[in-house]
Amino acid sequence: MQRKLIRIISLILMVVSFIAYIAKAPAFPIASENLLPWSTWFFIFALANIILWQSVVKLLSFSLMVIWFYAFAASVVPETSTATFDPNAIDRTPDTFIEIGEIIFNGKGKCNTCHTLDPSAPKSRCPDLTDIGTHAATRQPGMTAKEYLIESTYEPHKFLVPGYSNIMPPVWKPPISLSEIEIETVIAFLQSQGGEVDITEFEPPVDIGSAEAVVEELPPLLTGDVERGKKVFVEGAKCIACHAVAGVEQPTGQTLDEGVEVVAAPELTDIAGLNSLRYIEESVLLPNAQIVSGYGSVTVKTGGATIQGTLVTQDNEQITVRVKDAAGNEEERTILLSELDPEPIEELTDLTGKGYFWIQVTLADTGATISGDLVEEDDENITLQIGGEPQTISKSNVKVQATLIDFDENVIVGELIEETEDEVTLIVDGEEQIIDTFDIDEGPNYSRAFGKRLVVTSPMPNNFPLLLSVSDMSDLLAYLASLTGATDATAAEEAEATAE
Amino acid sequence: MYLTKHSSMNQSKNRLYLFLGLFIIYLLLTAATVFAQDATDTEYRPFPGIGSRNAAWIAAQLHLLFGSFILGVPMFAVVIEFVGMKTKDKRYDKMAQEFIKLCMGAFSTTALMGGVLVFILIWCYPKVMNKLSGIFGPTMIFYVILFFGETFTLYLYSYGWDRMQGRVSKMWHLFLGVLLNVFGTAIMFVSNSWLTYQTSPAIMGPKPAHEAIPLHDESGAFIGTLWQAVNNYTWMPVNIHRLIGNIAFGGAIVGAYSAFRFLAAKTKEDKAHYDWMGYTGNFIALCGLIPLPFAGYWLGREIYMFNNTMGINMMGSLFSWLFIIQAVMIGVLFIGANYYLWSGMTRIAGGEVYARFRPYMIAIIVISVAVWMTPRTLIMSPTEQAAMGGPNHPLVGLFGLMTAKNTVVNLIILTTFLSFLFYRRSGKTPTVGWRKAGNIIIAAIFGLAVAAIVTIGIVGFKVNTDFRVNVLTPIQVLVALAVMILVTVIDLIMYRKARSSSEISWGQMTDRSQYVLILLAITFTSLMGLMGYARSGLREAWHIFGVMQDTSPDAHTPLLADAVNMIAVIIVIFFALVGFIFWLGLWGDKKKEGSPPVEAEAATGDD
Repeated sequence: MQRKLIRIISLILMVVSFIAYIAKAPAFPIASENLLPWSTWFFIFALANIILWQSVVKLLSFSLMVIWFYAFAASVVPETSTATFDPNAIDRTPDTFIEIGEIIFNGKGKCNTCHTLDPSAPKSRCPDLTDIGTHAATRQPGMTAKEYLIESTYEPHKFLVPGYSNIMPPVWKPPISLSEIEIETVIAFLQSQGGEVDITEFEPPVDIGSAEAVVEELPPLLTGDVERGKKVFVEGAKCIACHAVAGVEQPTGQTLDEGVEVVAAPELTDIAGLNSLRYIEESVLLPNAQIVSGYGSVTVKTGGATIQGTLVTQDNEQITVRVKDAAGNEEERTILLSELDPEPIEELTDLTGKGYFWIQVTLADTGATISGDLVEEDDENITLQIGGEPQTISKSNVKVQATLIDFDENVIVGELIEETEDEVTLIVDGEEQIIDTFDIDEGPNYSRAFGKRLVVTSPMPNNFPLLLSVSDMSDLLAYLASLTGATDATAAEEAEATAE
Repeated sequence: MYLTKHSSMNQSKNRLYLFLGLFIIYLLLTAATVFAQDATDTEYRPFPGIGSRNAAWIAAQLHLLFGSFILGVPMFAVVIEFVGMKTKDKRYDKMAQEFIKLCMGAFSTTALMGGVLVFILIWCYPKVMNKLSGIFGPTMIFYVILFFGETFTLYLYSYGWDRMQGRVSKMWHLFLGVLLNVFGTAIMFVSNSWLTYQTSPAIMGPKPAHEAIPLHDESGAFIGTLWQAVNNYTWMPVNIHRLIGNIAFGGAIVGAYSAFRFLAAKTKEDKAHYDWMGYTGNFIALCGLIPLPFAGYWLGREIYMFNNTMGINMMGSLFSWLFIIQAVMIGVLFIGANYYLWSGMTRIAGGEVYARFRPYMIAIIVISVAVWMTPRTLIMSPTEQAAMGGPNHPLVGLFGLMTAKNTVVNLIILTTFLSFLFYRRSGKTPTVGWRKAGNIIIAAIFGLAVAAIVTIGIVGFKVNTDFRVNVLTPIQVLVALAVMILVTVIDLIMYRKARSSSEISWGQMTDRSQYVLILLAITFTSLMGLMGYARSGLREAWHIFGVMQDTSPDAHTPLLADAVNMIAVIIVIFFALVGFIFWLGLWGDKKKEGSPPVEAEAATGDD
C-alpha cells in the first residue's frame, strides 16, 4: 500500500513538474536564486517513475522525458528575441522602459548587430554607443540628447557620424518595424547609457502610420567579415579585375574565368559612403537593376553590322560607343539613332522595357505603313510621334507579316491571312498563297512591326549568387559596406574630433 | 469472421466522426469566402485564452501530424498488401489490414482537426483568409472534391478488405489502395500550395539565374495566374519532402504502436506478432529517413534561391540554432534506428559475429552527428566575434559548412545501411564458393566509397558554391546510392542459397529496444513540429512574405525555447489523442486474429 502511494505521488509530481517546466514557473523552493528549476524536479520525478512503475506509466514517463529533453535542449541555446510588446501593457516608468528597451536593442531591433556598447570592442559597422546618453547632446549643435536620439532612430540618414556610412535602416520600416512605443523604450535605454532618462511622450518626426503600407524586401543581416570579404573581392569573385579600390592591388598573374572579360567598371573606393547598403546589395545580386552612366554595355545593328561596346554617352539623336578592335585598341564611335537597323517585332508587348524607341507598323484597316518615335504604350494601344503629332494605334489593327522557309529553301514572306493546323494562308506580292504546313521546314515566324531599339546592360556577370557561397556573399557585402572612402586613420581622427 | 461485434461498433463510431468532420469542413470551406468577404475590414480577432497564433499553431500542427500519418500509412500498406499477394503469405495481408485499421481511426480526427483549423483561421485571421481564398478559391473547391474522393476510397479499401479476396478482386482492391494514395497525395499537394505560397509568393525565372519573379505588384495586388500561385518557388520541394516524411512518420508511429502492444502483450504469440510489426514499422521509417536529408537539402537550396536573405536567416542567423536542435534530433533518429537493428541481431543466433564492428560503427555515427550539429554562423555581437577571432571558429567552424555536413550525412547513411546488411546476414552462411572474394569486394566498395565521399567533402572546401552544389554534392549522393545498390545486388546473389543456421526468434527482443521505437516516434513528431515552426517562422513578420505584413500582436518570431515548449504541448496532446484512438479501435478487439509468425521464417528480414 505504501509503495503504491509513493508511486502515485511520484506520478502526480512528475506531471506537475512537467507542466510547471513548460509553463516556465519560477524555480522552487528559492525562485530568486533559481533553485531548483523545474527541469531538475521533472528529471528526478521522471526517473523515479521509470524505476517505480511498470508498463504504461513507465512508458508514459519515458515519453515525457524524451519530449522534455528536446524542450530543455532548445532552452539552453543562445538566441535573441524578436518579441513585441503590447503598448497598453508597458508600464510607463523609466525602469520598465529601460528594461524593455534593452531587450529590443538586443533582439527585435537588431541594433546590436552593428552597434557596440563596449569602448574596447573593435570598430564596428556603426558607432559604439557607450555613454551615448551624454554624447548625443554634443553631436549636433542646438539639439538635446533626446532630440538627437529621436532623429537618429527615425531618420538615421540625416546626420552621419564621421567615418560611418549610411547603412542604418529606419527601424520603423519593415522588416524591423518597431512600433512608436518600442522606439521610445530603445531611446530610454540609450539615454540610460550615461545620461538622464526622460520618458515623456514626444511627437515622432515621421508618421509611421502612413508608411505602414511601404513594402520592402528584407535587408541582409550583416554577419559577414570585412577581411574575408576583401579576400572574396580580390581573389574569390575577382571583382578587383574590373573595379578599382584605392590601396587594393590586383594579384599579379590573376586570370579570369572563361568567357569573362575585363571591362571598365566604376571605382568602388567610396561606394558605401555614397550609396545605401540596399543599392550595393542590389548591384551585386542584380547588376542590371541600375547601371552607372558610362558603364553600360550595348549592342546595336547599323548598316547590317553589329557594334558591341560600352555606352559612353547618349542623347536623343546619337550614342557614343567605346569599342575594341581585334588588336585590343579602343576607339569611340558615334552612331546616329536614326541609322540603326529596324528589327522585326514578334509581339507588341512591353516595347519600352525591351528598349524600343522607334516603331514602324502597317495598319490592317487602311494598309498604310506608318512609323515614328514610341511615346506611350499600354495593353491595347501604342502611341507614336508622327510628324510632330502623337498618333495612337490599336495593337490589333496591324498587319502581321509571316516568314517561312520551305523544304526547297525558298523564303516566303507575306501578310498572314489565316493559319490552321494544316495550312497557312498568306498574301504574297498581292496574291493569296496557301501553304501546306507539311511543306514548311522552318517557321512561320511572325512580325507585327519593325522597331529600332537600344538595350543597355551591365557587363558584370549576374551569377554571383550562384558562384558565391552564402557566407562569401555576406562577407563581400560587409566589405563593400566598409568602403566609405575614409581610411581607418582619418576615421579615427574625425571621430576624435567629434568627441572633442 | 474478421470483424467482431465491438469493432463493428467502433467502425460505426468512425463513420460518425468522419461524416461530422466532413460536414464541418464542407460547411466552413463553402462559407469561408462569404464570411471572409464580410470581414474584409476586420484584420484580426483575438482567440480567447491562449491567443490566435497559439490556437492556430496547435490546430495546424495536430492536423498536420494526423494528416501525415493517414497519408503515409496507406502508401506502405498497399506495398505490403502487394507483397502478401505475390508471396501468397496471408500474414502480410493481415498486417497491411491492421495498418489501415489504425489509419481509419486517425482519419476522422484528421478531418475534425482540419475543420477546427479552418474555423480558427477564418475567425482569427479574416483578412489573410480573404486574400488567400481570393487567389486559391478554385483549389479549395478542388480540395473538397479530393477529400470526398479520398474518404470514400478509404472506406471501400478498408471495409472491402475481407470481401475483396481472390485474384481478380485482390487486384481491384490493390487498385483502390493506389487510388487512395493518389487522392491523398493530391490533397497534400493542393494544401501545400497555399502554405508554400505564403512563404514564397513568386515563380522561378528562366535559367540559368532562376531569379524569383514576384506574383504581386508594388501595391500587393496579385498579378499572376492560379497555376503560378500553386507552382510557386517552394511548392514542389515541400511536396517531395513531405511525401517522404509521411512515409517515415507513418512507419515510426506504427513502430511505436507495435512497441506499446509488445510491452503490453501477455502471450508469446502476441509478442512475436508485434515484434515483427515493430520491425516492419522501423524498416519503413528507415526507408523514408534515408532520402529525407537529400529532399531537405533541395528544399533549403530552393529557399536560398528564392530569397538569399531568407536563406541566411534560416541557416546562418535567426534559425541557425534551430538547425542544430534538428541535427540533434536526426542524430537520435539514426542512432536509435541503428541500435534497434543491432538489438534485433540478438534474436538471431549467429548475429553476434558482427558485434565486433559495432564500436566502430557507433564511433562513425556519433562523430558524424557531432559534425552535423556544428553551427557555422550565429548571431553574435561584434565583441563576441572579436573574442572568437571572427564570425566563424577557425577550426570547428569548418564543420559548420555544408560540404562537411553533406559528407557526414552520407557516412551516417552508409553506416546505417551496413547495420542493415549485417542484420540480413545474421544466422546465415553463404554456400557460394566465392563468398570470401565477395566479402572482400563488398569491403573494398565500402572503403572506396568512404574515401571518395570524404575526398569530395574536402575538395568541397576549396571550390565555389556553384560547382559544389551542382556537381560535388550530387556525386556524393550518387556514390552512396551506388554503394547501396551494388552491395545489395552482390549480397542477394551471395546469400541466395545461403544455409540458414537459425531462425529469427520473433518476440525475443529486449524491452529496451521497444523503448527505442517509442523514442523514434516521439523524435519524428518533435522534428516535424520543429520544422513546422521553421517553415512558418521564416516568413518573420509577414503573412505572405513581402506582400502582406503581419500587424497582429503576435507579429514576432517566438524564441526557439518557447516554440519547442509549444511543440512539447502539441506532442503530448497528439500522443494522448493517438493513444485514445488506438485504444478505442482495439477496445473490443481483444481476441487475436490471424496466425502469428512464431514459427515462420521472417520474410521481411529476408526481402
